[in-house]
Amino acid sequence: MKKKVSIFLVLIFSVSALALGCGGGNEALTDWDYIADKGELIIGITLYEPMNYNDENGQLTGFDTEFAEAACALLGVEPKFQVIDWEQKETELSSKTIDAIWNGLTVTEERRENMAFSTSYIKNKQVVVIKKDNAEKYAVLEDMAGASVTAENGSAGQSAVEANEVLSANDFIASAAQKDVLMEIKAGTTEIGVLDYVMARSVIRDDTDYSDLMIHEGIELAPEEYAIGFRVGDNETVAKFNQAIEDLIADGTLPALAEKYGLSDVLALD
Amino acid sequence: MSFMEVTLQLLDGFKTTLLIFGVTLVFALPFGLVITFGSMSKFTPLRWLTRTIVWIIRGTPLMLQIIVVFFGPGLILGMQAFPRLTAVLVAFVINYSAYFSEIYRGGIESIPQGQFEAGQVLGMKKPQIFFHVILLQVIKRIVPPMGNEIITLVKDTSLARVIAVTELVKAAQDIVGLKAIIWPIFYIGAFYLLFSGILTLIFGYVEKRLNYFRG
Repeated sequence: MKKKVSIFLVLIFSVSALALGCGGGNEALTDWDYIADKGELIIGITLYEPMNYNDENGQLTGFDTEFAEAACALLGVEPKFQVIDWEQKETELSSKTIDAIWNGLTVTEERRENMAFSTSYIKNKQVVVIKKDNAEKYAVLEDMAGASVTAENGSAGQSAVEANEVLSANDFIASAAQKDVLMEIKAGTTEIGVLDYVMARSVIRDDTDYSDLMIHEGIELAPEEYAIGFRVGDNETVAKFNQAIEDLIADGTLPALAEKYGLSDVLALD
Repeated sequence: MSFMEVTLQLLDGFKTTLLIFGVTLVFALPFGLVITFGSMSKFTPLRWLTRTIVWIIRGTPLMLQIIVVFFGPGLILGMQAFPRLTAVLVAFVINYSAYFSEIYRGGIESIPQGQFEAGQVLGMKKPQIFFHVILLQVIKRIVPPMGNEIITLVKDTSLARVIAVTELVKAAQDIVGLKAIIWPIFYIGAFYLLFSGILTLIFGYVEKRLNYFRG
C-alpha cells in the first residue's frame, strides 16, 4: 500500500517536474556535507519513556535525547528533535524532512531496504503482554493457540509474531502504534499483545492505567537490537556516528546514561 | 497528571485545531467562489480544467493530499517546500475551496434564470446583477449545506497529525502514550462537541437573520 502511494507520488511529481522544466537539488554534496553544511541533524522521534519524553518542565529529555545530544556535540552539529508520525518515518527520511531516526528503532531486515543502520546500542527483546485476569488461561505458549494477537504494524513485534510457531497461526490485528497495542489488550478487544520490553516495562506499572496488564515472563520471543536509522546510502554519516558511539562507550558517557534511565541491563557494549 | 494539567496541555493542541479551522475558512470561503466562476465559465477549456481539478481534489482523501503537499517536494526535488503546519494549511485550503465551490455553484444555479434576465432588461451589468441581486439570496440558500461542511472541517483538522502536527487528537494521544493514562483521548470529545455546538448556534442565528429574504 505504502509502496503504491509512493509510486503514485513519484509519477505525479516527475510529470510536474518535467513540465516545469527544472531539475532537482545539488547533487555535488556528499551526505555528510549536506548535514554539516546546515549545521544541524534533524532527528525524527516519537514521545515515549524512557527514550524521548518531556520532563515536568516541558523540557525534552530521555536516554536517546541525551545520547543524541552527546554524539552530535562530538561531531560538531546541532541536534534538532522533530516529532513525527511513526508510520511515516521512511517517507520523512527520504523526503529529507528529517535526517535520522533515533527513537528506540529496532533493526529489521525489511527496514534495511529503506534505511541504513548504525551499530546497535541496545539489546532488547519482544515480550507478550496479557491481562492479569488471563494469567491462568494463558499460562504457557500452547494455551494461546486460537487467541487473537496484536502488535504494531510493520514493527519488530509483528515479525516476532510471524516467527513464532503458535502465535503465527492466530488472528493478527495490526495496530497503528505500540500504545494502541496496550489499549487493545486493556479494552479486551484483543487478547494477546506483543511489544518491546523496554517500552512495556516503563508503562505497565501499578501507578498507570495499565496496572491490570502484565508482561508474560515465561515466553521467549526473538531478541532484537536498537540502532540509529539514516538514509540509504548515507555511509559517511553512518561511519561518523559509529565512531561517536564507540567514543561515548569508551569515555563512559553511554554507560552513565544507561544507568540514569535504568537501561544498564540492556545496553550493548561490544 | 491532574485534570487541570491535562486540560492545559490539550488546550495547547486545541489552539492548533482552531488555527487550522480559522485559516482554512478565511482563505477557502473567497477562493471557493473563484473556483465557482471557473467551473461555470462559458469558456469551455477553463470550465473543463476547473472541473478536472475539483474532481481530483474531491476524489482523493484529504489525508493523501496533506502527505503529497508535505513530502512531495522533498521526494522529487530533494528539498522541503513547506514547514509542517503550512503544508497542512495549504492542503486544507485547496480541499475546502473545491467543496465550497460546488455548494456555491448549486446555490447560484438555483436562482431562477428570470432574475438574470430581469436585471439585463433593467440595464444592469453582469457583476451588478451578481453582487446586488443574486449573491444575498445565494447566501441564504447555502447556509445549511455550508454549515454541514464547516462542522466537518472542525473534525477534519485531526488529519493534520499524519505529518505530526500536534492538534487536539495528537495532543491527547501523546498524553496517553507518555503518561499511560487513557481518559484524555475520550475527554477531547467534549472539546469538539462544545465547538461544533457553538457553530450550530451561530448558523441558526444567521439563518434567522436572513429570513427576510423569503419569497
